[in-house]
Amino acid sequence: MNMMHEIVKEWLEQEKIDLFIGYKVVDGHPLPCFFTRENIDDVDNLVESKARYPLEKIAAKVYSTHPEMKIGILARDCNQRALNVLYVWNQLDPEKIETVGINCCPSPAREHADCSYLEREPSGPLKTLIGIENNLKPEQAEVYSQEERFKRWSYEFEKCIKCYGCRNICPVCFCKECSLEHSDLIKKGELPVEIPIFHLVRAVHMAGRCIDCGLCEDACPANIPLRLLYREVNQITARLFDYRAGTDSGQSPFSILGENVTLEPMSL
Amino acid sequence: MDYQMVPSICPYCGVGCGVLLEVIDGKLAGTLPLKTHPNNEGKLCIKGWNLHEHVVSDNRLLFPLVKEEGRFREVAWDEAIEISAKRLKAIIEEFGPDSVGVLTSAKMTNEANYLIQKFSRAAIGTNNVDHCARL
Repeated sequence: MNMMHEIVKEWLEQEKIDLFIGYKVVDGHPLPCFFTRENIDDVDNLVESKARYPLEKIAAKVYSTHPEMKIGILARDCNQRALNVLYVWNQLDPEKIETVGINCCPSPAREHADCSYLEREPSGPLKTLIGIENNLKPEQAEVYSQEERFKRWSYEFEKCIKCYGCRNICPVCFCKECSLEHSDLIKKGELPVEIPIFHLVRAVHMAGRCIDCGLCEDACPANIPLRLLYREVNQITARLFDYRAGTDSGQSPFSILGENVTLEPMSL
Repeated sequence: MDYQMVPSICPYCGVGCGVLLEVIDGKLAGTLPLKTHPNNEGKLCIKGWNLHEHVVSDNRLLFPLVKEEGRFREVAWDEAIEISAKRLKAIIEEFGPDSVGVLTSAKMTNEANYLIQKFSRAAIGTNNVDHCARL
């Protein structure tokens, strides 16, 4: 039994939490799993898992039907950022959530990392030649001329099979009505999707919202560099409004849910 | 509350993507891609993502219906099979076995697909067999 098991068991026994959302290996696959007080010995099977699922999205689902439940959750840095976004948008109550932090992305303070995103392979020669390499940083993707950038991004967007996987897996996508399903904006049953509107609609909605977990890119069957795209819009949000999703408190400057809509950029 | 993630295989096409079926309080509530499955590595198409919908759909046919005078009537399985057998026999006698075609489904198991091709070849006598994954 390791320390993580001890903490979770202790929390469950002391009724600090009613259930814990973590991972358990079933038939060789690490799967999201609920651990409860009634089945406390099962906590010994709790694992960190290299495969990541949007656990906080599952927690939000539980909260929507059982708001009284206190939920424990296994949290990498990305889960923690997603939780913060869900808190500020009132999708989860921070009073009801306890997190167990685990090792994640590497940083100067932490060399070892367990994050699945790190295993992404470099793109092949064709994609490097005419598309956008997924591992680029936003500033590296900006070196192309405007015309070439548009061509390269169009190549990427054309591959989209409109599976909506990027939206479905996204831990911070929770709108009841989605613009991507609005018949006036996006035509039904047409492929390829309208370029670049389909992806830019989503990108605009990700500004001030995306917590850079990379789950969308993991789920994309066409390997579109979505993480890079959303990083770009988030950098603009940070530059213009001084707002960083997942770490800053308060809703993003693009909140149109409040009574007063102010889209005032910070002084440059 | 009871929450379970049940690993399964997408029944839609021949790729056989791994899926995770989300079961909340005994009800099928959602589908996620199985991230560690070697076939799809955490990716799904739009049909796979909405797998749970055809199970809980209001349009799902749960019992056999027979169309009589333009209206559907609910019948027992035995009666439905009897009616189908009689009509099939009559058609085969009048127009020959090749007047019948059998369309099978990727949503069925390998064994069920074997049986239906055997049925069309041995019982009906035609090799007009096709499959939705070839569309």
